[in-house]
Amino acid sequence: MATVEYQRIGKSFGAVTIMRDISFRIEDHEFVVLLGPSGCGKTTLLRMTAGLEAVSQGDLMIGGKRVNDVHPRDRSIAMVFQNYALYPTMKVYDNIAFSLEVAKVPPAEIKSRVEWAAATLNLTPYLGRYPKELSGGQRQRVAMGRAMVREAEVFLFDEPLSNLDAKLRAHMRTEIRQLHNRLKTTTIYVTHDQIEAMTMADKIVVMRAGKIEQIGSPDDVYDRPASKYVADFIGSSSINFLPGTVVVDNGGPAVDTTTGRVSVEPSPALKPGHKVVLGLRPTDVVVDAGGPLAAKAILTERLGHDAQLFCEGPEGSFVAVVDKAARFSEGAEVRFAIPPSKVHVFDAETEIRI
Amino acid sequence: MSIAQVKRIAISDSPWPWLLPLIALLAVFTIYPFIYNVWLSFHEFVPKSRGLKFVGFANWVQLWNDGRFWGALGVTFLYFAVALTIEIILGMAIALLLDAELPGFAMLRAVLSMTLVIPPAIAGMMFLLMEDSQFGALSYLLGLVGLLDKATPMLATSSLALIGVLIAEIWQWTPFMVLIFMAGLRSLPAEPYEAAMIDGASSLQMFRRLTLPMMSRVIAVAVLLRGIDLFRVFDYVFVMTSGGPGTATYTVSLYAWQQTFSFLKWGYGATLSLTSLVIVMVMANIFIRVAKVRW
Repeated sequence: MATVEYQRIGKSFGAVTIMRDISFRIEDHEFVVLLGPSGCGKTTLLRMTAGLEAVSQGDLMIGGKRVNDVHPRDRSIAMVFQNYALYPTMKVYDNIAFSLEVAKVPPAEIKSRVEWAAATLNLTPYLGRYPKELSGGQRQRVAMGRAMVREAEVFLFDEPLSNLDAKLRAHMRTEIRQLHNRLKTTTIYVTHDQIEAMTMADKIVVMRAGKIEQIGSPDDVYDRPASKYVADFIGSSSINFLPGTVVVDNGGPAVDTTTGRVSVEPSPALKPGHKVVLGLRPTDVVVDAGGPLAAKAILTERLGHDAQLFCEGPEGSFVAVVDKAARFSEGAEVRFAIPPSKVHVFDAETEIRI
Repeated sequence: MSIAQVKRIAISDSPWPWLLPLIALLAVFTIYPFIYNVWLSFHEFVPKSRGLKFVGFANWVQLWNDGRFWGALGVTFLYFAVALTIEIILGMAIALLLDAELPGFAMLRAVLSMTLVIPPAIAGMMFLLMEDSQFGALSYLLGLVGLLDKATPMLATSSLALIGVLIAEIWQWTPFMVLIFMAGLRSLPAEPYEAAMIDGASSLQMFRRLTLPMMSRVIAVAVLLRGIDLFRVFDYVFVMTSGGPGTATYTVSLYAWQQTFSFLKWGYGATLSLTSLVIVMVMANIFIRVAKVRW
């Protein structure tokens, strides 16, 4: 088992620097998700960790040792690729056994380790098949089996579920997490899917354009997004943003927006006249006839357990999660309230949380 | 035929208007000569009467008892096996080397195909000159490195003549293998190699366990194309040694050509060429079966 530490890591391709000053630490046994949209550098960071991509600046430490110039095979890592990267000409058994054969592990032990991995992943009936004879989910599990038998100290996952359908993805999510609970191997998992991040991670690292935007537990990142960008990226139904100006209302701070005046929690940084952007999660907004926010109902989308109400406000679309029994006629004005503790306030200029 | 009729044929669902031209070509240039060849193998040309005479299985019996045929078959197989083996190994090695993206390699790859533009008979003439013991550059160089005694005429020495011909063959056709293999290498996926790198495989292990198996289809195609071509070798031996010295480079095709056009034994010539066709067909079919890949 091992820790992974990034110390001022940077990456350049020729004259183009795509990443600089990445520093954070992953503890032993931790399940860390690198989250961000495509092109944010998360896969590059993972590939640098694996040794498939050279580190341009800074130090990469695995288990306390600097590994910048260490060959991938000597880094004690195992990787699951986005397209699984199975060996097409080898049967499942040989795919899983390959690293052990290469390492000259005695055949009897190879057999027992492969069989253990296959049993853990429900792959035993498929050991004699070729990868092309397997379904996507099975291939995915073979890729994981290949990682498991290596007794690596760090598991690296590169968007491993992105090629599966929604149902299988949810299933594999729990399987991967359960596997981690059992093996406790330090894991770095790259995804652009915030649901995967929220459901699997001990710690989420949100990345944007080669920089780290926020590091925190799923709850931290959801409840206290460090920036407007993070607030926008995390959360199933997209957060509502309302630009406004800080005013004093009944002795407490509030923000005047075109949609209405919203009370916010006091903070020394909030001075009257300060331009801010409010982030209101659809799940935190409640329908309240006496509420300060007003918008015109357009459409209700039923989701089964509740419904999403789409409204048109002065700032454009405004979404609230509402009781599915509630009915709103199109064009009717709906009023909303939100507790001050649930309002996220970001500086209009820097977009950083206040 | 009126325009309306042409139009009707062009838009009809029947496959025959489209197949007939091809069938006609096949019939005239492949099927008829083949059948004629079979028929011819049961006849023989009689110079006195200037006609063909039915001889039954006489040609086939003669073939079975003809030491020169078996000798030629042996030479053909040897030529085929040596050339194919070296062209595959050398072709693969060069393809692996040229697959790298280094400065100048794009040019090298382009230059490679140039040997294929030269007609084999001309290439044979070139090597005939280069292997001349008096003024041949190749003979001189081989002499310098001690591989050849300077006084030995390569193509006129029975133990060396086949090697001399094979040099021309391999020089001209290895680039063909390189091109096919390079196309195959380019189409291989990158991820399994990254996975193998993490799994700790050495370059040799990657080549043996990944590249070779993944290339098996490409190699099979190359072997089949080249193998069929090699079996009917004619131009190099014809130009360079005419089968000599003695029968050291006498191949089946050359023998068939000689029987047919020099000795006017048309029936026996047809029997010889038919035999080599059957051998190629049997070998190709066995190969296709053996080389079938499951993954």
